[in-house]
Amino acid sequence: MRPPRHRQLLAALLALCVTAAPPASAQDVMIFAAASLKTALDGVAAAWSAETGSEAVVSYAASSALARQIEAGAPADVFISADLDWMDYLASWGLIDPDTRRTLLSNRIVLIAAGTDAPPVEIAPGFGLAALLGEGRLAMADVDAVPAGRYGKAALETLGVWGNVESRIAETENVRAALAFVALGEAPYGIVYATDANAEDNVTIVGTFPEDSHPPIRYPVALTADTANPAAADFLEFLGAAPARALFEAQGFTVLDPTDADAHAG
Amino acid sequence: MPTLTPDEWQALALSLKVSFWATALSLPVGLLTALVLARGTFRGKSILNGLVHLPLILPPVVTGYLLLLTFGRRGPVGAFLDANFGIVFSFRWTGAALAAAVMAFPLMVRAIRLSIEAVDARLEDAAGTLGANRLWTFVIVTLPLILPGVIAGAILAFAKAMGEFGATITFVSSIPGETRTLPAAIYGYTQVPGGQPQAMRLTLIAVAVAMTALIASEFVARRVARRIRDG
Amino acid sequence: MSLDVRLRHAFGSFILDVDFTAPAGVTALFGRSGAGKTTVVNAVAGLLRPAEGRIVVDGATLLDTARGVDVPKHRRRIGYVFQEGRLFPHLSVRQNLAFGGWFAPRTAPQPDFGQVVALLGIAGLLDRSPGLLSGGEKQRVAIGRALLSAPRMLLMDEPLAALDEERKAEILPYLERLRDETRVPILYVSHAVAEVARLATTVVALKDGRVARIGAAADVLSDAGAAPLFGPTEAGAVIGARVLRHDPDGLSELAAGGGRLLLPWVAAAPGTTLRVRIHARDVIVALRQPEAISALNVLPAVVAQIGGGEGPAVDLSLICGPDRVLARITRRSLIALDLAPGRPCFAILKSVALEGRESGETTAAFRAEDR
Repeated sequence: MRPPRHRQLLAALLALCVTAAPPASAQDVMIFAAASLKTALDGVAAAWSAETGSEAVVSYAASSALARQIEAGAPADVFISADLDWMDYLASWGLIDPDTRRTLLSNRIVLIAAGTDAPPVEIAPGFGLAALLGEGRLAMADVDAVPAGRYGKAALETLGVWGNVESRIAETENVRAALAFVALGEAPYGIVYATDANAEDNVTIVGTFPEDSHPPIRYPVALTADTANPAAADFLEFLGAAPARALFEAQGFTVLDPTDADAHAG
Repeated sequence: MPTLTPDEWQALALSLKVSFWATALSLPVGLLTALVLARGTFRGKSILNGLVHLPLILPPVVTGYLLLLTFGRRGPVGAFLDANFGIVFSFRWTGAALAAAVMAFPLMVRAIRLSIEAVDARLEDAAGTLGANRLWTFVIVTLPLILPGVIAGAILAFAKAMGEFGATITFVSSIPGETRTLPAAIYGYTQVPGGQPQAMRLTLIAVAVAMTALIASEFVARRVARRIRDG
Repeated sequence: MSLDVRLRHAFGSFILDVDFTAPAGVTALFGRSGAGKTTVVNAVAGLLRPAEGRIVVDGATLLDTARGVDVPKHRRRIGYVFQEGRLFPHLSVRQNLAFGGWFAPRTAPQPDFGQVVALLGIAGLLDRSPGLLSGGEKQRVAIGRALLSAPRMLLMDEPLAALDEERKAEILPYLERLRDETRVPILYVSHAVAEVARLATTVVALKDGRVARIGAAADVLSDAGAAPLFGPTEAGAVIGARVLRHDPDGLSELAAGGGRLLLPWVAAAPGTTLRVRIHARDVIVALRQPEAISALNVLPAVVAQIGGGEGPAVDLSLICGPDRVLARITRRSLIALDLAPGRPCFAILKSVALEGRESGETTAAFRAEDR
């Protein structure tokens, strides 16, 4: 079942404005991936290209934005989301191939600070985040739509700190933008994925949020329902192969086995 | 017209405030720049012209990023202004106003420059021979005659500022009450499932404001031009 | 007061190189289009900076490229009346006129607003907008505006060029009054000989970017050598003549230096001195006093100068009493009559044109001493 007309139209308008998918040729694979995957996935895509000779073109953005684009008919072959909700969303509209879906990676969210040697922060219920921020702001991805933001908000709520800092958030379009704000020193602290913090030299991880303070961070991957590209399935396979695993783990992701609980709602 | 929620009002009010200040404060700069480009003869004029038009051509995100590097908390200009004058752009409506002003600047300058070039330079010569120096000539002769163009340019800049998104969100992100302008709010609503009604309402408001501004700009420009012609 | 202009400027292949000094009164800068007149005037006004030059007005050095002096245009106090008027469209006539007064230096004598308005007859236009004025009215307002800026000198760049004959005839008397009643010297650019003949005290004739002839108007206009500058149809001398009486048969009798002149009725009281113009093409030269001819104006004359050139026509400068008259005859007749400098003859004036009034002062300057 397809989404109603006016939703499609609005989503299409936005897709035009936000990111344009670069054109791809016949054997190339078009991948829409969450922004936090950039450093690792670039490496994986290059490795796959070297092996197969086909081009893997990746478009990075917030999972929310990508899901909207696919909804509007963007020509993606593969979608890797940073949370289960957006994959479920597309599944509910029949826009992904449910047989190809599996959960690929796991991640942690961390509190980062500007600079290379910021003092560590103890993350515990009721910790003084508001006091730490002072006049500055906490850079986070959009707390309502972008997975990294949602995880962060959930964690802060669980720890009972959300109320104090809610008015001090600087929300960005995607998690990498939040990372950039902290790296530039524009915001003193930020909440991003551990993998993002690893990719950036100008920030320090000052604390890691307990895994039970937020829903499990899962990166599901699937082929889109419309794709007719045989190379896409090949790329999907490659994501689980040893060289890809190594690249993901090097960034700090936890690679999940296909047999791990694929907890997803239908 | 359905009523707006407090969040929506906030976005609209912030947009109006940001756009107003962006236009008002960049008007003198735009006027001076247009004057220099229209009447000046000096080396590097084409470079100046290029710089002025850069925001029109660069992707807005790039402009926003450049603003972040320059006027951010640690940027050379941003740090200086904060330390010496207490002027802060980082994550504040002033930053949104700056982004809007920079993006709207080329349109303003173009409109004003065209109207200056339409003023017969020989009238300015005549004023000079009658004893008026360049400043007086500008105030008494040129300015009244370019007024339609200045007004049109200001309104156009205001409309552009109302619609500014890419540079703003890159520079000062989207903070309700501070930098979450109308376009940022619309974008935000579209990202959330079920946010369509709000997005649509705000979109209609944005279109209405833009159309009103453009029609008003045309109207005012024509009225003033007719008054000048007929004396 | 004097105007001292020396300048040199190149426009591509055209080189302007002039050097002249002019006394008070109306100095006409005459020449064909492209001779460089507007460039000279723009340089005097400060709208153009010549490559090299020196301009001194009434003792004040406005430009001296050799010493790095270049007074900006708004401090030169030169009133400029442009060909197109250039009134400010967003100001009323009154405000346009007042404009000059706003920036006149306090130390300069302030011209009286009412007097200037009366001089130019523009009282009825004061509250109008410039867009609604006729060409002639615009020019008069432009002149008034320039006068009210208390200038040390007025520049007029072909102020009548854009007007039709009627409007020209309407304005010329005002220009004469300007010349006669104000103390302001005028540099008047024109390519119309009739205007020069009517208004000029001094004539500076430009040709191809250089000063071809300079002198008192009467002298230059009656110079056989300079006649080619004015062209065969327009060349002609001007002389002063005093109205004696008006005859009942519609003719007026005037006394010129060299004899009596009869013109169709002239609207001037006996005793008024007028300027009359005698086109060279309207002068017939005879060796003996003609009898039984219709022409009424015959003056005894002596050949003074024969013009140069090789064509079938030749110009002669004839002395008639204290005046000079220009005659244009065929070379064949020149040879047949054996005309040479010193030969007594008669000048038969087929037609005499009335050019305008002469004030006492201008007449004096006009009749130069060096004859």
